[in-house]
Amino acid sequence: MLTINSLSKSFDKGRNYAIENVSFTLKAGQVCAIVGESGSGKTTLVRLIAGLERPDHGSIAMGDKIIASLDKFVQPEKRKIGLVFQEYALFPHLTIFENVLYGLSKMKDKKSRAQEMLDLVGLSEMGQRYPHQLSGGQQQRVALARALAPEPSLLILDEPFSNLDTMLRTQLRNEVFDIIKKTGVTVLFVTHDTQDALSVADEILILQNGKVIQKDVATNLYVKPNTLYVASLFGSTVHINKNLQNAFRCPLKETCCHAIRNDKIIVSPSSAEADCEYLTTAQVIKKIQLGDSIQLVLKLESGEQLTVMTQDKNIADTIYIGFNSKDILEFEQE
Amino acid sequence: MQQGGNRNDAFSLKTRIKRLKRDSNKWSVFTLAIVFFLALPIIFIGVELFSGPGETWGHIVEYLLPDYILNSLYLVFFCSILVLVFGVSSAWFVSRFDFMFRKQMEWLLILPLAIPSYIVGYAYAGIFDYGGSMALIFRQLGLEFIRIDIMNRAGLAFVLSISLFPYVYVSARAFFLNQANNLLEASKMLGVSELKTFFKLMLPLARPAIVAGLVLVLMEVLNDYGAAKYYGVNTFTTGIFRSWFSLEEPQTAVYLSALLIIFIFALILFEKWQVRKIKFTSSKTNNTQIQRKEPRGGLQWLIFSIVFLPILLGFLLPVAQLLYWAVITASTVFDMEFIIISLQSFAIAIASSLITVFFALLLIYFSKWSTLSSIKNISRIGVLGYAIPGAVIAIGIMIPTLALDKWLITMLGKFGIDSGLIINGTLLALLYAYAVRFLAVAYNPIDSTALKVDNSIPDSSKVLGVGNLKTFFKIEFPLIKTGVFSAVILVFIDVMKELPLTLILKPYHIDTLAVKAFEYASDEMVMEASIPSLFIIFTAMIPVIFLNKLLIKK
Repeated sequence: MLTINSLSKSFDKGRNYAIENVSFTLKAGQVCAIVGESGSGKTTLVRLIAGLERPDHGSIAMGDKIIASLDKFVQPEKRKIGLVFQEYALFPHLTIFENVLYGLSKMKDKKSRAQEMLDLVGLSEMGQRYPHQLSGGQQQRVALARALAPEPSLLILDEPFSNLDTMLRTQLRNEVFDIIKKTGVTVLFVTHDTQDALSVADEILILQNGKVIQKDVATNLYVKPNTLYVASLFGSTVHINKNLQNAFRCPLKETCCHAIRNDKIIVSPSSAEADCEYLTTAQVIKKIQLGDSIQLVLKLESGEQLTVMTQDKNIADTIYIGFNSKDILEFEQE
Repeated sequence: MQQGGNRNDAFSLKTRIKRLKRDSNKWSVFTLAIVFFLALPIIFIGVELFSGPGETWGHIVEYLLPDYILNSLYLVFFCSILVLVFGVSSAWFVSRFDFMFRKQMEWLLILPLAIPSYIVGYAYAGIFDYGGSMALIFRQLGLEFIRIDIMNRAGLAFVLSISLFPYVYVSARAFFLNQANNLLEASKMLGVSELKTFFKLMLPLARPAIVAGLVLVLMEVLNDYGAAKYYGVNTFTTGIFRSWFSLEEPQTAVYLSALLIIFIFALILFEKWQVRKIKFTSSKTNNTQIQRKEPRGGLQWLIFSIVFLPILLGFLLPVAQLLYWAVITASTVFDMEFIIISLQSFAIAIASSLITVFFALLLIYFSKWSTLSSIKNISRIGVLGYAIPGAVIAIGIMIPTLALDKWLITMLGKFGIDSGLIINGTLLALLYAYAVRFLAVAYNPIDSTALKVDNSIPDSSKVLGVGNLKTFFKIEFPLIKTGVFSAVILVFIDVMKELPLTLILKPYHIDTLAVKAFEYASDEMVMEASIPSLFIIFTAMIPVIFLNKLLIKK
């Protein structure tokens, strides 16, 4: 459905790349999340796909039709891609209804289609209002209705929930994706929040410094992350460096990089109770109550500091921590 | 690895050329065409330089050029000092203190802009003349009249400054009101005195804004013809007129124009250097209301007087003098011919402001739709006309259109058609010249409102399948309407006031109020010049007040 091939874009004539050598494909009907920190090139990538930026190298194809390459460029208005902007970008001087109607000039029953879309997002009664009269969440749904109305073959959501607070965010995310699922449209969804990605995406693409680090289904990203960065995106992770290897007396392959997830670190009051292959003692230097669980800042014999979580309320000053070899994550050296 | 290949390849010459081919569209071509069209007069001046100087050039260089240069430098220097004193002090007091009539004075301080410099010049000549208003007042008071001769370059510097200082006032006030509030509060919290805050903090910070206003003033000073001519001061502009009309030597006018352009570019470079040196102006505007101090007693009177003085000198006195003359001459000046001239003036101003705004819109949006990033920079060249004095633009248009007309006449003559001049000396040339000269006046307000519309708005229209033109009419134009409207008004005022360019390019049978006032004054009938002058002032005043209201609301 969407094929991206060695795509590159630089805004300073090749000194730095916002997007560098990105290749991936997207199947029809799939929801794919693009996850990355700010500045990782997420927005540039979707703007390239939408036709709002022009690539410096590589190509983009929809189906078997090239829409952007070095020789060819299909204008954004000809691409049949829906885009919901981070700041919604509703037309402030048009009513909600007129906003949704706006992209439908070529359709036959455009008015009923626009109304249908407003019904779909649950704003049937709001059609005659202006954008500034709506709440953030409502504006978001109008932007969605407007983007979906012309029946795009691909829908792109650029950080759609970043302007909302956490409570509203989860609720709206579920609402929005319920609506999207009804239409069956292919979705590319940009976010810096892994929770967003995990809860709605079929596949997740990790972008770092303009490059694709990994693209896979959610469980694989968790179980078999490509890099330490990917591992730490999906749960706090401890890098097992040389010092930690010494402290736990667990020699690991030197050419690789290793890590252990914090929730796989076993905390126990005595060595007898600890059921793990690698074990060491640690001093508790700080306890922080975080709701149900307690965060412990530990100091190992070797002097390394480590943070772990535990449910146990009666923690002594000196404890045992350890882990098992099956839980160790191994990556190519970075 | 493939990655390395990509990096090297993406900016190789071959891929660059491929992209240039992909990204250049019709809008790029249109933008370049408009820029070229607007730059033509200057290009012609440059080209004409190669035909060598005229016969009198040697004579001018020897006897007049030192005078032109010295007088221009003298005016630049003393006008700078005066407008800085008037403009910055009034801006500081109205934005930092609350005193009697402060609100009224805030917009009264802009009104001198409604009076063209040459008209202020006429008024002051009348005030200080032997039989003038001052003499009259002295006689009434039983005092002996000591005449101050102002018909010299010192008088000219005063007249130009008192009519142009609002450019500095407006930009300095905008800075003091919008940008500086949080810094002022910080300074206050640190316990620093008002005077020290002004000299140590505000003045250095406001320098880029003040210099920007000052450069506008100096461009107007170098553009002036009417006042310099009346006060008998030889400047570059009067020199251009003399070589064009009296000496009938276009080549000499071209050479003087080129020198003047170099002079002005030196000024612009100076501004750029000033702004680059200090770039600490934060782009964040501060929304907290400025807390004005309320001075009491003598201090309040002192501040009131300091702020009132430029209003009195720059607006009230000249207007009073003109009104006095108007009463005397009303019966002789106000006739059918005068009404026709007024209507012509209005019609020309409206037509040219619409044309100029149209060109500004084309330039802004065509360069935006052109996907080549370099086009946007090139498009800025089209705005440079504002820096070029009207007389220079007029010469740059006169020479090629005369040549073109000569060619057309011989061509058409071959077919037995007696066409006469087609472009030269017609409204066409005049309207074109106004568009070149005042494009920046239209461009800036439109561009700044257009910048306030987030890119995602037109972008989402495009993603929804709507092309550039339709997006402009349905989405962007409704959102920038106020900017377009103020652009129309601003160009209208400037055209109403314009003198040098109009004098050179206007058709024989057509007159404007500005030209009429100039002709009266040149014919030793300066009293009769008062009525057309007042007409210009009042038409310019209404929009000035109106625009200031808009400004304050924002």
